Amino acid sequence: MRKYHLVRRADAKLKRTLLYYAIGILASLLIGAVILAVLGVNPLEYFGKMFTIGLVGNKYGYRQIEGLLKNFVPLLITSVALSLSFKMRFWNIGGEGEFLAGAIAASIVAFQVTGLPNFVTVLLMCLAAMISSGLIGVAVAALKVKFNTNETLMTLMINYIMLYVIKYIGETKADWNFFLQEESDRPIFGTFPQSAFMGSIPIGKFSLLWSVIIAVALTVIIYVYLKYTKHGYEISVVGDSSATAKYAGMSVGKIVLRTMFISSALIGLAAALAVSSAGTISDSITNDVGWTGIIVAWLSKLNIPAVFVTSFLIEVLQYGCQIAASQYPAIDSNYANLLQGIILFSVLVADFVANFRVVRKEDAKNA
Amino acid sequence: MEYAIELKGITKSFGPVAANKNINLALAKGEILALLGENGSGKTTLMNMLSGIYMPDSGSIFIDGKKVEINSPEDSGKLGIGMVHQHFKLVERFTALENIQIGMRDDGRFVHGKDVRKKIEDTAAKFGFDIDLDKVVANMAVSEKQTLEILKVLCYGAKIIILDEPTAVLTVQEIDKLFAVLRKMRDEGHSIIIITHKLNEVMAISDRVTILRHGEYIDTVVTKETNEKTLTELMVGRKITLNIDRPLIEKTHPLLEIRDLTIKNDEGAVAIDHINFYIRGGELLGVAGIAGSGQKELCEAIAGLRKIESGQMIHEGESIVGMSPKKILEHGISMSFIPEDRLGMGLAPSLSITDNMILKNYNEATGPFVDRKSAREEAQKVIDKLEVVTPSTETPVRRLSGGNVQKVLLGREIKSGPNVLITAYPVRGLDINSSYTIYNILNEEKKKGTGILFVGEDLDVMLALCDKIMVICHGRLQGVVNSDHTTKEEIGLMMTGTLNIVNKEGKTDGIAKDSAITDEEGKA
Amino acid sequence: MLDILTLFLFNIIVYNIPLLYGTTGEIMIEKSGSLNLGVEGTMAIGAVVGYLAGARTGSLLAACLVAFIASGVVGLLFAFLTVTLQANQNVTGLTITTFGVAFYYFIGNAVANSAAGWPSLIDTKLGSKTQAIEIPLLSKIPFIGKILFSHMILVYVGIIIAVLMWFYFKKTVPGLKLRAIGENPAAADSLGVNVALYKYVHIIIGSGIMGIGGLYMGLNLGGTYEGSNCWINGYGWISIALVIFANWSPAKAILGTVVFGFFNTLTVKYADLAYAFPSALGWLNKIPSHFFSALPFIITLIVLIASSLSKKKKSGEPQAIGRNYYREDR
Repeated sequence: MRKYHLVRRADAKLKRTLLYYAIGILASLLIGAVILAVLGVNPLEYFGKMFTIGLVGNKYGYRQIEGLLKNFVPLLITSVALSLSFKMRFWNIGGEGEFLAGAIAASIVAFQVTGLPNFVTVLLMCLAAMISSGLIGVAVAALKVKFNTNETLMTLMINYIMLYVIKYIGETKADWNFFLQEESDRPIFGTFPQSAFMGSIPIGKFSLLWSVIIAVALTVIIYVYLKYTKHGYEISVVGDSSATAKYAGMSVGKIVLRTMFISSALIGLAAALAVSSAGTISDSITNDVGWTGIIVAWLSKLNIPAVFVTSFLIEVLQYGCQIAASQYPAIDSNYANLLQGIILFSVLVADFVANFRVVRKEDAKNA
Repeated sequence: MEYAIELKGITKSFGPVAANKNINLALAKGEILALLGENGSGKTTLMNMLSGIYMPDSGSIFIDGKKVEINSPEDSGKLGIGMVHQHFKLVERFTALENIQIGMRDDGRFVHGKDVRKKIEDTAAKFGFDIDLDKVVANMAVSEKQTLEILKVLCYGAKIIILDEPTAVLTVQEIDKLFAVLRKMRDEGHSIIIITHKLNEVMAISDRVTILRHGEYIDTVVTKETNEKTLTELMVGRKITLNIDRPLIEKTHPLLEIRDLTIKNDEGAVAIDHINFYIRGGELLGVAGIAGSGQKELCEAIAGLRKIESGQMIHEGESIVGMSPKKILEHGISMSFIPEDRLGMGLAPSLSITDNMILKNYNEATGPFVDRKSAREEAQKVIDKLEVVTPSTETPVRRLSGGNVQKVLLGREIKSGPNVLITAYPVRGLDINSSYTIYNILNEEKKKGTGILFVGEDLDVMLALCDKIMVICHGRLQGVVNSDHTTKEEIGLMMTGTLNIVNKEGKTDGIAKDSAITDEEGKA
Repeated sequence: MLDILTLFLFNIIVYNIPLLYGTTGEIMIEKSGSLNLGVEGTMAIGAVVGYLAGARTGSLLAACLVAFIASGVVGLLFAFLTVTLQANQNVTGLTITTFGVAFYYFIGNAVANSAAGWPSLIDTKLGSKTQAIEIPLLSKIPFIGKILFSHMILVYVGIIIAVLMWFYFKKTVPGLKLRAIGENPAAADSLGVNVALYKYVHIIIGSGIMGIGGLYMGLNLGGTYEGSNCWINGYGWISIALVIFANWSPAKAILGTVVFGFFNTLTVKYADLAYAFPSALGWLNKIPSHFFSALPFIITLIVLIASSLSKKKKSGEPQAIGRNYYREDR
C-alpha cells in the first residue's frame, strides 16, 4: 500500500526556491566543515581564509584581487555564453574545446602580427578567436539541425580533440612552431610580444585589466540581448517549445545556428582575453571553465544576473582554496572541486524539493 | 451476477479539472461491455486507473468481489487486467516475440526460449491470430501492431481485457476480424471492456453499454434492449436550452476554400480524405466529429504546419498550399488549437502573458528590440476585456488556470485582426462563464466580417453558436447542415458514420457556388 | 623484432582493459536510458578507495569489492538524483566527474601526506596478487600465448564481464526488459516492468564495473600515487566515446577496446615499432603521437555523425537516452 505520492508543484515560488537553495548550500558547507575537522583543520579558520581570499592582514592584498579577477573573467564569459545555448535547450558541453580553439587562434595573431598598436593587436586576437570558436559552434549546430546528431556527444569529442591539438603545439619542437620559446631546448610556450598584452587601468597600486571591464559590459549586453531583443525572445520561445516556435513562423534552424555561433564565439572571446591577460598560452589555459561554466549556468538557472553572482562565488571558492592551500598543507586546492560537487548535489536536491511535493493519497485531490 | 470488475465512486482530477466524478461501473464475467461517451467524457482516464497509470483520488475498485488497490501497471497485470492502449505501447525496434516477452512473469529467464514461443504460438492459434513473431514492430502495419497488443495481454493471462478505441485505426474488414476474436475471447471466459464512439459497433459487439458524459456516469443499458438513437441521446445529452447568441450577419464572399483536400497523419494513415468546404466572411462554420477524425490535421494543414497529400486550399483567390506558416499568418489566417493537455500548441508555457501576446508579430517592431511596452498594453487589454484572472501581465502562462490560458490564446489570435479565424476546442475544460466569454469573442469577430471555423465537442453549443455545421467521420465529409434545419440526433448519426448526406438531393455539399475561382484555375 | 611486436600487442591489452570496464559499465547504464557523463569521476573514486582497501587487507578480492561498492555508491547517487529527483543527467554526470576526481586527489593527498604515507604496491601483499596468470597450455602457444593468455586476472574478468553482459542483453528476459526501458520506458512501464528499480540496479552495477576498471588502472600503474596526475587520465571520457563506437554492444566493446587501445599504445610505443620495422613502419616517426591520442575521439566523432546521416535506424543507441521518465507526465 502506497500512501504517499509525488506531485509536481503547479508553481515554484522564487522565495521558497531561494530558501531551499540557501539551506542546501549551508548543508554542503557543513559537510565541508566536517571533512576539514576530520583532517584536523579548524573549519572556521579555513573558511575564513578561503572566503576572504587571504585579503585580511595582507600588505599585497590587491595582488589577490587581481589574480581573482584574472580567473573570474573567463569563467564569467563562458558561463554566460553557455547559458545562451542552454536556454535554447542546446546541450553545448564543448566549452573546453571552443575555449582552446579561441586561445590558439588568438595566440597565432599575438605571435605573428607584430608592429601594430596594442589596442589593435588585442582586437585582432579577439576577432580571430571569436571566428574560429564560432565556426566550431556553427558546425555542431548545423549537424544537429540537419541530421539531429547528438550535440552533447559531439561537443564532448571536440573538447578532447582540441586538447590534443594544443598539447601537440606545446610539445613539438619544430621550425614552424612559433608558439614555443626559441632559446629553450625543451618545448616551452613563449611569451607574447608586449603589443599582445591586455592593457590595464592603474588605480593606485591596483591595476584593473581592461578584460574585466569588457567581461562586465558583455554580461550586461547579453542580459539585454536575452531579455529585450527579438533574438533573445526567439531563443526563449525555441527553448520553451520548438513546436510553438514553428507555429509562430520562426525559422528554428536559423535561430539555433545563430545562437550557437554567438555562444561559441563568446567562449572564444573569453579565451582571447585569458591568453592576452596571461601573456602566454598553455594546455591548462582553460582552467576548466568549460566544465565549471556548465555547473555555474545550471546553478543560476540560466539567469544572467545570477550567473554573474554564482560565477563570482565559485571563483572565490576556487581561488580562495588555492590561497588557503599554501597555509594548510593537508588540504589542497582540490577541496574546492570537492565542495563544489557537494554544493551542486545539494542544490539539485533543493531544486527537487522546491518543484515537487509529497502528498498523502487522501489529500491528492487537493494537490 | 458476479462481477469481474466493480468500480464504486471513482473520482480523479488533474489540477482543477475533474476528469472523473463519482463514477460507478460493473463488468460481469464473460461479457463485452462497451464504454460509450464523447471525447473528454473521461473514458480513458477511468480505464487508466484500472491499468495502473493513474491512481484515483477517491473511490474503490473491486476485482472478483475483492477490494483491491492498483498502484502500478504491475499490480494491474497481477490482477489479471490487460489494457490495449489507443496509442500502442510497443518497442518499435523489438520483434513481436520480444515485445511480448517484456511483460511476461515467471516464464523463463531467457529470451527466445522454445517453450515461450510455443506458448505464444498456441495462444495465437487458439484465437485465430495470424502473426509473424519475428517481425520487427517498426515494419508492421497498424493492424498488425494491434493484433500484437491483443496477443500480448492474452499471453499474460489477462482475464479482463480493456481495449481503448481499437477500431479507430482499422478498416472494415479488419474490424470484422477483430470482433470475431473478441467474441471468441468472451466465449473462452474473458471479460472485455471496449471503448468506442461508433454506435454501430456498440450494437454489433457489446452485451451491455455504460455511458459517460462530461466525466460523469450516466447509465448502463442492455444492448439488445436499446437502439442507436437512444444511445446517441444518452451520449450527447438531452437538448438543454442554451442562451448563446447567434447574430445573423450578411455573409460576404468565400474567404477560404478547401477543395478535395487529403492529409495524412503522423503515422502515415489518411487523416483527411478528399474534403471540400468553404468559409464566407461573417460566417461561423462548426466542425463536428468524433475525436481523432482528422480535426487536428485539418487545422495544422491550413496553418501551414502540415504537408498536404493532394487538393487545394485557396484564401481570397490565392493558393496557400506550400506556404510557410509565417506567410499564411501574414495573409490573415489565424489558427489556434487547444490540444488535450491544453498548453501544447500556440503558447510558450514558461513565458509571460506579455511575451505570448507578441508570439506572432514580435518581428513587426522596428529595430532590434522587442516592443514590450505595447505588448504589455495589449496584454492588459486582453486581460481586461476577457477577464483573465492573473496576478499580472508578467505571469508565466503555465501558472494560469486552463480557462485563462485559453482566453490569452484566443485574445492574441483576434487582436491581429485575421479575416479567417480557425479555432479548435477553445472551450475545452472551461466552466460555463468562461465558455460564454469565449462565445462572445467569437460572435464579435463574426460581426466584424471574419470567417470562423470552429472545431468543437459539445453539439448543443455548436447548434446554438454556429451558422452551419460540417460533420466529418474518419476524415470523410458526412455533410454540411444548417443549424436551424437539423437536429442533434441527425448530427450524431453523421458523426458515427451512420448517415451521410453528401451529394444527396443532387447538391454537392461543400463547394461554394459563387466562388471566384473555378476548379481549373485552382489547380493551376 | 618479433619481440617488439609481441610486446606491442601484449601492451594493447594490458594498458587498455580499463577502457573495457568503463565502456561496458557505461553501456549498462545507457541501455537503461540514462546518459552518465560521470565515468571519469566514478572510476577515480573506485580506484583510490579500492586500492587503499586492497593495500590494507592485502587482498585483491577485497580491493575489487570495495572498488565496486564505492563506485556503486556513486551510481546510487546518480540514480537518486536523476531517477527519483528527476535532475538533469548531463549536469549530474559532470558534477560526479568534478567531484570524483577531486575526491581522488583529496583522499590521495591526505594519505600521501599522512605519517604512514602512500602504500606502495610492492610493499603490500596485494602486489603478489596482481601477477600475471599464465593460462596452462594456451599461454605456451608461441606469439599468441604471450599476447592473449598471460595476463593479470582482472584482464580476464573484464572480458568475461563483457561477454556475460552481451549474453545478458541478448538472451535473458531481465536484459530484454532493460533494453525496453531504454527504448520506450512508457511501454515497459505499462507492461509492469518496474522502471525505477531497473534503472537503479543497472546504474549501480554499471558504476561498480567502472570502479573495478579504475582499480585496475591504478594497479597497472604500479600503484604509485602522483599528486598531479590522476590514474584515470581521461580513460573515462574515452569510454564514453567507445560506447558510441561499439554501437552500444558489449561484444563490440571488446573489439573497440582493441582498436582504441591500438591507437593508445601507438601513442607511447610508435617509436619502438618504427625502430623495429624501419622500412615498413618508419613513417610512423613522422606522425606526431598526439595525433594517435586524438584519433579515438576523431573516429568517434565521425562514427557519431555518420550514424546520424544514415537513414537506417540500425543504431544501437537507446531511443529514450538522456530523458527522465515520470509516469504521470502527459
